[in-house]
Amino acid sequence: MSVNLKQLAGEIAPPGAEWCGLRRVRLSARAVQAKDGRFDLAYDYVDEGCMVEVLYRGQFGYAAVASLDSGALSRAALRALELARVGSARPVHAFDRSVRPDTVVKWETRRAPGRLPGSDELCAFAIDATRAMRSSEKIVRSDFLFELRDEEMEYASTSGAAIAQLKHVIGYNATAVAREGSLTQRRTLNGPRGRTLQGGAELLDFPAMKDEALMAAAQAVELLSAPECPSDRRDLVLAPDQMMLQIHESVGHPIELDRILGDERNFAGSSFVRLEDLGTLRYGSELMNISFDPGVESEPASYAADDIGNPARKELLIDKGILVRALGSLESQARSGKAGVANQRAQLWFRAPIDRMANLNLEPGASSLDEIIGSVEKGVWMEANRSWSIDDYRNKFQFGCEYGRLIENGKLGKVVRNPNYRGVSSGFWRSLFKVGDASTFRVYGTPNCGKGEPNQVIDVGHASPVCAFRDVEVFGGEA
Amino acid sequence: MSAKKDMEARFGRACDALFGALKGGEALAVEFGGEDSTFLRFNHGKVRQLGSVERVDLSLRFYANGRTLGSGANLSGDADADAKACADLVAKLRERAALLPEDPYQVLPAATGNSREEFSGRMPDASRLVEEVLEPGDALERAGADFVGLHAQGPVCRGAAASSGARHWFATEIFATDWSACLPNGKAVKSCYAGREWDGAEWRRQLTAELPRLEALNRPERILPPGAYRVWLSPDAVDAFVPFFSRMGLSERAYREGSSAWAALRDGRKTLAAKFSLAQDFSLGAEPRFNELGELAPERLSLVEAGKFANAIVSSRSAKQYGAVPNAAPDWEGVRSPSVAPGDFDDGKALEALGTGLYVSNVHYLNWSDFDSARVTGMTRFACVWVEDGKIVSPIKDLRFDESLYRLWGDKLEAVGRRRSFIAETGSYVSRDLGGSLVPGMLIDGMTFTL
Repeated sequence: MSVNLKQLAGEIAPPGAEWCGLRRVRLSARAVQAKDGRFDLAYDYVDEGCMVEVLYRGQFGYAAVASLDSGALSRAALRALELARVGSARPVHAFDRSVRPDTVVKWETRRAPGRLPGSDELCAFAIDATRAMRSSEKIVRSDFLFELRDEEMEYASTSGAAIAQLKHVIGYNATAVAREGSLTQRRTLNGPRGRTLQGGAELLDFPAMKDEALMAAAQAVELLSAPECPSDRRDLVLAPDQMMLQIHESVGHPIELDRILGDERNFAGSSFVRLEDLGTLRYGSELMNISFDPGVESEPASYAADDIGNPARKELLIDKGILVRALGSLESQARSGKAGVANQRAQLWFRAPIDRMANLNLEPGASSLDEIIGSVEKGVWMEANRSWSIDDYRNKFQFGCEYGRLIENGKLGKVVRNPNYRGVSSGFWRSLFKVGDASTFRVYGTPNCGKGEPNQVIDVGHASPVCAFRDVEVFGGEA
Repeated sequence: MSAKKDMEARFGRACDALFGALKGGEALAVEFGGEDSTFLRFNHGKVRQLGSVERVDLSLRFYANGRTLGSGANLSGDADADAKACADLVAKLRERAALLPEDPYQVLPAATGNSREEFSGRMPDASRLVEEVLEPGDALERAGADFVGLHAQGPVCRGAAASSGARHWFATEIFATDWSACLPNGKAVKSCYAGREWDGAEWRRQLTAELPRLEALNRPERILPPGAYRVWLSPDAVDAFVPFFSRMGLSERAYREGSSAWAALRDGRKTLAAKFSLAQDFSLGAEPRFNELGELAPERLSLVEAGKFANAIVSSRSAKQYGAVPNAAPDWEGVRSPSVAPGDFDDGKALEALGTGLYVSNVHYLNWSDFDSARVTGMTRFACVWVEDGKIVSPIKDLRFDESLYRLWGDKLEAVGRRRSFIAETGSYVSRDLGGSLVPGMLIDGMTFTL
């Protein structure tokens, strides 16, 4: 629906409000899945609505409705004002309009020209691919899923902000499950939903996708006869598709400023990082450089401005292993007095924006893959996340992967199944001894980072090279 | 008109418009979700974010010529605009479904039953949320703890209807104040006050009842080495394990596709302790029995009986695909309204029976760590304490466990509590969830901690 949001913001702003903003979001999504060579599901989905936000004596109040009607929005603005008035009696911080900048920007995902395939074409491919994946009788399930969506966000305020952003996201995944006796193994394409990226038809290379799906099926079968990952301490080399999870859980969440300020203590948890650590904490080895980068092509959390209108730009957060800046929005910056980034984002129109990690990447280093493997005397390579758990302060973690290979005397050796490892975040990152160069750098993302009360799920992107860590506790399964 | 009545009217109008747009040979199933919620998020006993969300969602399944297509949209509340949107939606579904391949396991909606349940509630007035919800927390702040959490209130509605004639409505007015009192040493007490009738005196009583626990958590922390410990799992802690019967759990589809961690239980290769029984029990009254096809589940379905597999969760689609007997499960085939059977252990003697070991109030971030052996890893969290000779000694530095559920609820399950707690579902991804579980505490001999 086409409306003049800027004009609406002025019209609905209730008397007494010091500021009023409107954020309209329209999600248009479709998905198809085939399983075992047959159609499994298809759906289309549209979700559109608007959040009205009002500032009154230092407190924001919000009201969200699935309507763009000026009457409905006027009533929502009054409700938001009333709630702001209630909250202003006891605010956690007295905000002002400086945390809602007057940004004017228009932005859209950069993508190659070309028509996107229809659901019928995607179905036909998925049916063919999943049929081909069942080449072994040990494969008990093969599926291929496509998820495509467009997210249109428009934001305007009484102070002049006018933002229009259009994000195009494509995700796909193949899953192969192999079974022999009581043993089950599965492979996906870089972990479940790891291939969630911004872009267009250029992301859908059908011959390559089919080859990779067949490879996933072959490796699932291969894992059935592989030995268990050994249980001992050894060097650990992580592929970028597992680095994605490692960065997300043990770097991204702990350095979110709202967690450090305690907002998440009742739900997602706090952080081992304290405010006074910013600028001094040795988080990892000197090879560790972590950036917040909303401008990486195809990474899923790329944007020009966050959901409160703060213009987004690349910032180095961990510089040669030292934590120099947190993932904190303008609101968290105002509360803490610490520098941050443009990361106050909301799931859709019906949730208020909070601190999010967006695209959080490990910058490439100087080592080739051969140099990394060659530097390991006794180690294990792991790829594609399948299990993740970390404590509420983001210290003690345990992660499992789909596929492992032993490394002995500088060479990749036999395949091992059920590879897992555990450690403590800061000690783990300080043991980082090799960082891959740009040739090993890969971009991944996931649409399901959960956080916040009320709960929100959102896209995050993580790009990383291959990395090696010294002397890590690794272990296998029980079978 | 109350919000619940308004939503029921919207549901009725949407059904009329949607079913009225169908042509011969077509079928449709409609799911409805609505809420009018107020959310008060707080930290340090003060308002962090305060707002409201009013939303109504439709989720559709359209069937024609052997094709199946799902769809979703939200309703604006403008009756004319919504009626037109519904008719347009059916036209689009018709057009798009025709392009799809045939659905080999299509199950047309066949349910014809009708039901209507409505529960009224009494919520704090929005203008008094600070006084009603936050000010009583000052007692915790005076004890040196930060009062943190979320208060959510307002009506939540669910509906389901099918072109075969089924029509179901469930509306309830509920609140949930999910809160923690966090000490400067990182330890915390967590609880949730939830229900339909807000009672300010009861709320204050629940808050002050936690003050003694806070005092114990202020003692110096004890760091325990990894190993096996005797453990009392509180009902909240037990509740965190229950979703593992849904997630790669007792679903018929998961079993058939090699994605059930309980395959050994179902095949009879393994059993749990005879003390352990699990059922799906809608007599809890916390969520509707109907699914997206308008099918009504039995009020009670035994899933694990005295340690042995009893029934799988079977949707109509799985029933057709695998020749199983359906039990009106939703398509995701998870356990709804789980109820773990009580034991004969006197919960009041938990510390005494524990002797020396760990009292685990809560666990955090659980995940499968070894699928085939049903091994789960996770962390202790909040008010977990070390106990010696039946007396609380000190809070612990949180520990990671990694344990097979076949052992935890098998040979290591020493006792099951007589008293069960209802743990309200407080999730709110997309919309506020309904439901909850009824679970006892459990005494475990030798739970494995690894980090």
